[in-house]
Amino acid sequence: MSPVLQVRDYSLDYVTRGSSQRVLQNVTLSIEPGEVLGLVGESGSGKTSLAWAIMRHLPGNAREAPGGVLRLGDTDLRAASSKALETIRGRRMSMVFQDPSTALNPTLSIGRQVSEVLVRHRGLSEKNAWRAAIEALEHVDLRDPAGLMKRYPHEASGGEKQRVVIATAFACRPELIVFDEPTTALDVITGARILELFGRLRAETSVAALYISHDLALVARVADRVAILEKGRIVEEAPADRIFTAPAHEYTRHLVAAVPRPEHRLVTDQVEPKDLLRAEGIAVRYQHKPLFRPALPPATDDVTLDIRRGEILGIVGESGSGKSSIARALTGLADYDGGITLEGKSIGSAKAMNRAYRRAVQIVFQHPDSSLNPRQTVADILARPLRLYGGDVATIPALLEEVRLPASYAGRYPHQLSGGEKQRVAIARAFAARPDLVICDEITAPLDVSVQASVVELLLRLREANGTAYLFITHDLNLVRQVAHRIVVMKAGKIVDVLDMEMLKRGEIHSYTRELIAASPTPVG
Amino acid sequence: MTDALHRLLRTPQGVLGLLLLAVLVLACLLGGTLAPYPPEAMDFAGRFAPPGIKHWFGADQLGRDVLSRLLVGASSTIPLAVAATFSGALVGACVGTLSAYLGRRWDEAITRTIDAVMAIPHLLLALILVSTLGKGSTNAALAIAISVAPSMARVTRSVALSVRQQDYVKAAIARGEGAGWIVLREMLPNVAAPLIIEATIRVAFAVMLFATLSFLGLGAQPPASEWGLMVSEARRFMHQAPWIIVAPAVAIATTAICFNLLGDGLRDALNPRDER
Repeated sequence: MSPVLQVRDYSLDYVTRGSSQRVLQNVTLSIEPGEVLGLVGESGSGKTSLAWAIMRHLPGNAREAPGGVLRLGDTDLRAASSKALETIRGRRMSMVFQDPSTALNPTLSIGRQVSEVLVRHRGLSEKNAWRAAIEALEHVDLRDPAGLMKRYPHEASGGEKQRVVIATAFACRPELIVFDEPTTALDVITGARILELFGRLRAETSVAALYISHDLALVARVADRVAILEKGRIVEEAPADRIFTAPAHEYTRHLVAAVPRPEHRLVTDQVEPKDLLRAEGIAVRYQHKPLFRPALPPATDDVTLDIRRGEILGIVGESGSGKSSIARALTGLADYDGGITLEGKSIGSAKAMNRAYRRAVQIVFQHPDSSLNPRQTVADILARPLRLYGGDVATIPALLEEVRLPASYAGRYPHQLSGGEKQRVAIARAFAARPDLVICDEITAPLDVSVQASVVELLLRLREANGTAYLFITHDLNLVRQVAHRIVVMKAGKIVDVLDMEMLKRGEIHSYTRELIAASPTPVG
Repeated sequence: MTDALHRLLRTPQGVLGLLLLAVLVLACLLGGTLAPYPPEAMDFAGRFAPPGIKHWFGADQLGRDVLSRLLVGASSTIPLAVAATFSGALVGACVGTLSAYLGRRWDEAITRTIDAVMAIPHLLLALILVSTLGKGSTNAALAIAISVAPSMARVTRSVALSVRQQDYVKAAIARGEGAGWIVLREMLPNVAAPLIIEATIRVAFAVMLFATLSFLGLGAQPPASEWGLMVSEARRFMHQAPWIIVAPAVAIATTAICFNLLGDGLRDALNPRDER
């Protein structure tokens, strides 16, 4: 039997301002009928470019090297006219995107968008297409599909939208589906359910799929074979169960080593039960009560937690569970009800936070791109907290040294740094204040696994040197199980579980926590 | 900055805009020395002389050389218009950024005030201001600055609102910085690019508004050779000697086009994301 998708010797360049940059180098891979091939690479490895090349939707500055082959069944995709491609896309191959909130047109009802594909590619009448669309939505386990058809994308949740996109992709029984990080933008539990759905649909339809992701642990669970892409080259291709147990290439070994494994603890010391900061009954509201309607529920409701000196306290929960609101309240970015006590001194409200409190409690944000002012040099960025909290500007090189950046970086602007380097500067800025507590708000989420591992290692080293406590907010349960002394689990603005490692080991955990753990893919083998 | 200049030179609008700007700057700086005659030298024998070798752009109703008057007038028209726009833009930018930073009730109060001021047409506002402050070039420039400020504040506010959401602003708040530092040092530099573009395009409006005020007799006063005033004075002789009105009108139009092109070019040059 001939393969569904065949890519042979395919190279691709992007031309920018006269210079060209190679993004794919002699890529060769093939997908057999009914097979799922996982494609794993870090950001910038060219995995999404390959997806677009297969879908024949490349940006205007892309230049394909002659000689490469892209073949869907017997069709040569590179030779196909745009007219022919119109009938191939959606009918014979389709795509599921990373972010379901932008993959659907916000001005069309969900029903129109699903049935349009059926009218277009299966030649059904409007009425029959509508009926078939309801069936398709039913098939992806959506509740009340008929009602959902009349709704607009903003009236559906992220998980529902992704199911709609998947239903559309499967609706015409294509030969190949390209998945581009379909669960990355979703919560752990929602993502896990999407994966379950994918597994079921795959078993039913035996469709072939290219599954692109940066998450090796996840791909190893869904794919039959895994191809590892490094800087546009495929460095290794192996059966999924072999990739973790016997990685052959050096780069793969490096990736496998960087995947957080909960059983491998990075923090071994114990902290004394001495309170550093205590937050009592914290409730954060973002909106004032509307005049004629009932008040909206607060983002966090009566949350009480305490952080000990030098402790790493993890906060986990899905998006919207209020974990970032806690960070905003503790740093005075949001007004809150309740009380915060720092070393016995009580802080009544965000306005009452004095310089001593602000020095002691620092925050590192999720997105390094937006947390550094693009118009300031690294030296400017670091000098500000030093001046404000009585440090010495001459210590900037030492500060950079501490976060393992060369002192020459002081003169650079943020856009000249990589994501991981920017995050190191943000960490240096927090440590410039010599804080007692650093709040890390999802700081590893936008980084590649290998960079993530080095940032975590840096944080642990800084803690060892300075005795700083961390409030480690994340949705990555595997990571937090590696580093935290205690874990706080939040759901819908409330704390549902507080557990230390001993309780976790003994299994004395809340059912919701159990669900979260089950949904976090752990490395096999 | 040199990077932005390079990108500006790669767009046709940028090149053309810069060329025209160079001509205008030359006229402003060296107009007096380049002019073949003194701007106020009358020659009754040469009244209404058509364009020719003696008078390139002709002579007006008093026999004054139109080209000389244009060249000398450049320095009393363009610098004032540019200065008026950019001072108005700066004030507007500060108000807009502050409004976005303060948010909630303050934002509401400031924006509604701006709305109220913007409900008055530019020209009417300038007219009211000039008639209150008194005639003259400086007051006209001041009036233009004030009429530019509200719309600039509005544009700035919309850009600043998205900057306000950036984590580096939150970081500054969490650090305990004052409002002045956050507005001037953290936010303003990041709203500058769209502002420069907007302000450059508005210079064209200012030149025309300034000319209009002078035309109406509220800006520069005779015998000054301000361009709008020249148009105004030549209006009576439009059929008899059209060159007297055409020359300053074309000069005003060229200036407006120059700054429009420059604004368009800058829009591409200062947004390096549009690399494709």
